[in-house]
Amino acid sequence: MNNKYNIAFGLLLLSSSLKAQLAPNCTASLQGQIQTGQPNPTSLPGATVFIQSLQRGAVTDSTGYFRLDKLCPGTYTVEYRFVGFNTITEQIHLPLDSVRTVTLTADGVNLPGIDVTEHRSEARQLLQAQTELSGVALDQTRGQSLGESLKNIAGLYSIQTGPGISKPVIHGLYSNRILVLNNGIRQEDQQWGSEHAPQIDQFVASRLTVIKGPASIRYGSDAIGGVILVEPKAMPTKAGVHGEVNAVGATNGRMGVGSAYLEGAFDKKLAGLSYRVQGTLKQAGYARAPGYFLENTGFRERNFSGDLHYDHKKWGAEVYYSQFNNRIGLFRGAQVGSLSDLYAAIARPEPLVQPGFSYELGRPYQNIQHQLIKGRTYYRSERFGELTLTIAQQRNLREEFDLLSFSRAETPELYLKLTTQTADLIWEHPTKRDRFGGIWSGSVGVNALTQGNVRRYLFLIPNYRANALGGFAIERYARDRWVFEGGIRYDIRTLRAYFLDETTNRTFSRSHQWDNANGSLGISYQARPDLTLTTNFSTAWRAPNASDLYANGLHQSGVAYERGNPNLQPEQAYNGNLALAYSGKRLTAEIGVFNNLINNYIYLKPDSVPAIRQRGAFPAYSYNQVQATFRGVDATVSYKLSGQLTLTSKTSLLWAYDKTNRNYLVLVPPNRMDNSVRYDFHEQAVGATPGTVSGLYVQVSGLAVARQNRVPAVSSEVVNGTPVFRGDFAPPPPGYFLLGAEAGLNVSIGKQPMSVILSGANLLNTAYRDYLNRFRYFADEPGRNISLKIKISF
Amino acid sequence: MFKKQSLLWLTAITLIAGACNRDEQNVDPTEDNERITTVTLEFTNKAIVSEVITATIDGLSADGTQPNSASATVSLKPNAAYSMRILLSDKTKTPATDISAAIKTEANEHLFVYKPATGLNLTITPNDKDTNPTPGPYPIGLTTDVTTGAASSGKLNVVLRHQPNAKNGTPTPGTSDLDVSFDVVVK
Repeated sequence: MNNKYNIAFGLLLLSSSLKAQLAPNCTASLQGQIQTGQPNPTSLPGATVFIQSLQRGAVTDSTGYFRLDKLCPGTYTVEYRFVGFNTITEQIHLPLDSVRTVTLTADGVNLPGIDVTEHRSEARQLLQAQTELSGVALDQTRGQSLGESLKNIAGLYSIQTGPGISKPVIHGLYSNRILVLNNGIRQEDQQWGSEHAPQIDQFVASRLTVIKGPASIRYGSDAIGGVILVEPKAMPTKAGVHGEVNAVGATNGRMGVGSAYLEGAFDKKLAGLSYRVQGTLKQAGYARAPGYFLENTGFRERNFSGDLHYDHKKWGAEVYYSQFNNRIGLFRGAQVGSLSDLYAAIARPEPLVQPGFSYELGRPYQNIQHQLIKGRTYYRSERFGELTLTIAQQRNLREEFDLLSFSRAETPELYLKLTTQTADLIWEHPTKRDRFGGIWSGSVGVNALTQGNVRRYLFLIPNYRANALGGFAIERYARDRWVFEGGIRYDIRTLRAYFLDETTNRTFSRSHQWDNANGSLGISYQARPDLTLTTNFSTAWRAPNASDLYANGLHQSGVAYERGNPNLQPEQAYNGNLALAYSGKRLTAEIGVFNNLINNYIYLKPDSVPAIRQRGAFPAYSYNQVQATFRGVDATVSYKLSGQLTLTSKTSLLWAYDKTNRNYLVLVPPNRMDNSVRYDFHEQAVGATPGTVSGLYVQVSGLAVARQNRVPAVSSEVVNGTPVFRGDFAPPPPGYFLLGAEAGLNVSIGKQPMSVILSGANLLNTAYRDYLNRFRYFADEPGRNISLKIKISF
Repeated sequence: MFKKQSLLWLTAITLIAGACNRDEQNVDPTEDNERITTVTLEFTNKAIVSEVITATIDGLSADGTQPNSASATVSLKPNAAYSMRILLSDKTKTPATDISAAIKTEANEHLFVYKPATGLNLTITPNDKDTNPTPGPYPIGLTTDVTTGAASSGKLNVVLRHQPNAKNGTPTPGTSDLDVSFDVVVK
C-alpha cells in the first residue's frame, strides 16, 4: 500500500474524530466490509472509506472491516477506494444503512453489473450462522435451479426427483421446515411436497443468503431448519439505463438458458424513480446418464418480473410483480403401478426403455405457475427509525399429469391452487448509544397470513383455509467486542380443512388452532480482529400442515401412498449452535457445530401393510411423530499456498436420530466433502493486451459423498400373500466421487466487457446414484456435463 | 405519526379481507381419469353356444382406502372349450365408461396376463392381435380361448399391463393397470 497516503489519511482521521466529539446526538455508526469480487469475494485490507461532506474516513483492517463512529444521522455520499480498483461512491441514510458490504472491481475492467454496491442483506441483522452466495460465486451457478446452486454451501443438500427437481435441505431438514423468502415475501408454493421445488427464478437473485438454524423469531413459524433469502440487486440510483444479458449452454440435456434485465433511474423531476424488468427462458431435453438417456426428463421455464421504486427523502414505495412458469418432465422409467412393478424396476440395473435424445415433454409432467405481486412502503426518519409495511399476494397453480394408460384424458390428475395473502408491518427503532458506549438496535413487527387451497380431480390434500398471526421483538446490544441479541415471538395459527362426503354430497370441515411462544438468544465475541465466535440458542415451532394432517392419496413420483394423521401435534425445536470465523492472511475458516432437538418431529413412516388397489399392492406411508435430533458440523477452510494458488475444503457432517424408536431416520443426507484447488493468473501473465483480459482463473474440484450407513434396516418378506417391507425399498447406494473443473475470465471485446465461465461436472462420467434422489431406484444420475456461461453487462 | 401507522394497518387488513374469496368451501368431488371399478369375465361354451357364464368383480378400490374384498366365482365344466372375453368399465362416471373399448384402441400398449394358480386345470390363450410392427404383432388378451382339464379349483389372476413403447409379448415391461383374482371351480 501507499504509505504516504495512509499517514495522510491517519491525520485526517484524527482531526475528524476531534470534530465529531463536538457534535451532540451523533451516535450513528457506519461499518462494513470491503471486498474484491474477483475471482472470489476476498476481503480488502487497507482500503479507504471516505465521507466527503464530513471530511471523515476510515481504513479497513486486516479482514477488510471498517467502522466509522459518532456520525450524525442523515444522508451521506460515501466513497470506497483502493489502489488498483475502481472507486465506488454511494448514497446512504444513517442510521439505517449502518452496515455495508462493498465489492470493488479491478481497474481496467469496467463492468457496471459488478461494481454495484450491495445493500446490507436483511439477514445480517440477525446474529445467526449464515452463509451467502453472491457475485462471482453466484455467477458460477447460473443456469442451475435454486436448489442446485445452494449445494455449494457447506451444510446444504438437496432432495431431488430426477434431474429437473431439486429441493433445498438445510442440516437435514427440508420442505415446510425451511422458509424461502423471495424478495422479502414468504414463498408459499405447496412446499410440503418432497418433489415440489421452490418456484423461483434463480436469475432474480443477486444474493442468496442461507440462515442455518431456526430463524423463526424474525421470519415466522415453520423455520425450524433455516431460512433462504433470495434477494434481488439493489435498485439503480444514478440516472441512465443499464442492463445485463446472461446466456448458458450445457451439453447434458442440451440445455439452453437466456436471461436478461434492463434497469434505470431518472433524475430532475422524476428523481427517486427507478425500475427494472427481467426475464428468463430455459429449456432442456432428456438428461443423459452414463450409457443412456433418461426418458422424459426435459423441462421448460419462462419467467419474468418487473420492479418499480420511488424513494423520496423520508419515504419510499415499491411495486413488484413476478411470474414463474415451469413444465418439468418426470422420468418415465420411474413409473410404477404396484409394489411388484417397483421391485422389478429396482432389480433392473438399467431402465428398460432407453430412447434417443429428445426435447419432447409428455406425461408424466408437472405444470406450475407461481405469481407474486408485492407492494412495500416505508417511512424513515432520524428520530422515528424506520417503519415498513409490506403487502403481498401469491397465487400458486400446480397441475400434475400422470402417465395415462387408456383414457386419453386431457385433464391433470392433480390440480392445486393456493392463494396466499401476507402483510408485514415492521418498525426498526432508531439506534441508541448508552453511556457505556454500547449501541442498542432492534425491531418489532407483526406478520399476518391467510391462504386458501382449492383442489380438483384426484384427492391428495383437501381444500383448506389457513390463517396465521404473529408478533415479534428483537433487540441487539453491541459494546466493545461483544454483541448480544435476544428475541421473542408469539404466533397463532388456524387451519380449517373442507371435505366432501360423496354419498350425501355434503361439505363438512375439520378445524385446528395452535399457538406458541418462542425465543432466541445470540452472543458474538470478537476474540481478535481476525477471530470471531458466535453462539445462538433458539426455539422454533411448526404447526402441522394440511398434508401432514389430511393427505390421502397416491404420490406417483414419490412411489408412495400417503395417509395423513389428524391427531398430529406441532413440532417444537430447540437449537443450539456455535460458529467460529477466522480470517487470517493465508488461512480463512468458518466452522460451525449445531444440535437441533425436535419434539414431535413429523415424518412419513412406512406402513407394514401396503395399500391394495385396482392396480395391485402399493407401498403405503402414514404420518407419525417422534423425538428426533439433528446434529452436525459444517466447515469451510481456505488456505492460500501463494498469491495465486488457493486450496478450499468444504465439509458437511450430519447425524440424525429418531430417539423415540431408537432408530435412524430416512432421507438424511450422507456426509460429504468438497475440495478444490484454484489458480488465479496475474493480469500480466495472460499475455494479452493489458486491460482486455482479467480475472482469469482455473479450478479443479473433487466432491466425495459417503454412503449413508445410518439408515433404518431394509427388509422385505411375504406375509399372507402380500409383500411387506420395512425401512426402505432398497439399501442406500454406495458413496461416490465426482471430478469437476472450471475456468473463468473477464474479457473486453472492443469496449464491451464480458465475463465467461466454462465448467465441467462429473468429468469422469461416473455412474452413480444419490441417496437423496427419489428416483435412485430406477436409474443413474446424469453423467458428464460441460457448460458455458456468458455474461454481458451494459 | 401513529395515526398514519394505524391507518396503514387498517388498509392492510381491509385489503387482505377483501382479497379472500371462499373458493375452498366449494369442494370438488374426486375424479379419476383412469378408474376401473368393474371387471367381468364372460365365458361362452364353444360346444353349446347358448351356455354363457359371467363373473363380475365390482367396486374395485382406486386408492386402497377400502379393503379389496370384491371377488367372484366362475363355475366351468371339465374338459371343455370356451371362448372368453373380458369387459372393464368405470361406473363412477355417468354413463359408465367402457374401458375395454378404450384398451382396444390402445391395444399396441396393452397386454392382459392370465395366470391360473397351480392345481387349477385351466389354460387361457389370447386369440386377438395388436398392430405392432415387426417383430409384432403381439397378443392383447381381450378375447381368449379357454380349455379346462380335470375337475379342480383355484384362483385365476388377471393383470392388465400397460407397456408404452415397450410391448414385446411378455409381461415384463411396463406397469400394472389392473391386478385382480377370480375364484374358478372346474366341476
